[in-house]
Amino acid sequence: MAGRTIVVTSGKGGVGKTTTIANLGTALAKKGFSVVMIDADIGLRNLDVVMGLENRIVYNLVDIVEGKCRIEQAMIRDRKLKKLHIIPAAQTREKDAVQPEQMKALCQQLAEQNDFVLIDCPAGIERGFKNAVAGAQQALVVTTPEVSAIRDADRVIGLLEANLLKDIHLVINRLNVKMVKQGDMMSTADIVSLLSVPLIGVVPESEDVVVSTNRGVPLVHERGSRAGAAFQKIAARLNGESVPFDDDQDGGFLSRVKRIFGG
Amino acid sequence: MLKAIQRFFRDRNSAQTARQRLGVVLMHDRLDISPDLLEALKNDIIEVLSRYMEIDQNSIRVDFEEGKDYTALVSNVQVKRVYRNVAAT
Ligand SMILES: Nc1ncnc2c1ncn2[C@@H]1O[C@H](COP(=O)(O)OP(=O)(O)OP(=O)(O)O)[C@@H](O)[C@H]1O
Ligand SMILES: [Mg+2]
Repeated sequence: MAGRTIVVTSGKGGVGKTTTIANLGTALAKKGFSVVMIDADIGLRNLDVVMGLENRIVYNLVDIVEGKCRIEQAMIRDRKLKKLHIIPAAQTREKDAVQPEQMKALCQQLAEQNDFVLIDCPAGIERGFKNAVAGAQQALVVTTPEVSAIRDADRVIGLLEANLLKDIHLVINRLNVKMVKQGDMMSTADIVSLLSVPLIGVVPESEDVVVSTNRGVPLVHERGSRAGAAFQKIAARLNGESVPFDDDQDGGFLSRVKRIFGG
Repeated sequence: MLKAIQRFFRDRNSAQTARQRLGVVLMHDRLDISPDLLEALKNDIIEVLSRYMEIDQNSIRVDFEEGKDYTALVSNVQVKRVYRNVAAT
């Protein structure tokens, strides 16, 4: 098996990388794929709590690369889905406890045994970013519709391209349709044309996200959540399914984007 | 209603402002040109041009123009007088 390795990154912190990883990993596993999610945010472990798996951690990513445990010993199985695992970050270590080469080797090994390896990247463009990106063939860049997040996304896209990682797609998170309609938030079309990277999905701003994080149960498990549905669509597109971009999230702007990218 | 009227009279909405500001910021980021560097570039252009002609130094403008698949540097400057026998100097 030759699975795909995908890093989720953003430059700016707090824009929704971990939320995106947790939901995409869960959605893909629900489709029957085997998925491993690596929390590469060393020192600021988060994916475990978002997935509700914080009580099961014994070993972590740094233990694997230091040879203190086998890979399987550090993989924590999801509570509901058999083929979904996370490898937690070390909480009390520095980012330089892992080398890019080690990440590359680990990702390669995991990709041989799984359909998807998803890597949760820390904020910033320093060491942690370089580690997270090293083993990835594909990148999802998450941004919110704000000036600073988009600027940082542009910087990260430049760095990814310089690293010869050119398979890049854009996730727009926390879009507020009402504000877009009022002319007080940049639209999907605005953001896509500024960044000139193909869009893979738009996630609305939603209280559901906070509730699901409180519970430690990813949104895609729930029915009737628009944000959850948005993540499901991104997972489907990752899987190569052609899911139409609809107008409801963006007050009509998405149809223009759709024409540009033939989505 | 009042809000709608206020909105109507605002000269432009904030999304449009954000888009325009970002357009400029991203272009500079990508070219890695800081405002200081742009100022230095302007001064160099003035210096070179001044060898050949008299120009209005305050009129100089340097802009980047984004085309579909190119970025052009466009500089406009007002020429007052071209010197004679430039080649000899
Ligand atoms: N679509 C959304 N609607 C509402 N809140 C959201 C949405 N997406 C993310 N959030 C909230 O934003 C916060 C940051 O999200 P998250 O932790 O996923 O970001 P991150 O990019 O991983 O942050 P960091 O850079 O610190 O790792 C969380 O509190 C999360 O619940
Ligand atoms: Mg995170």
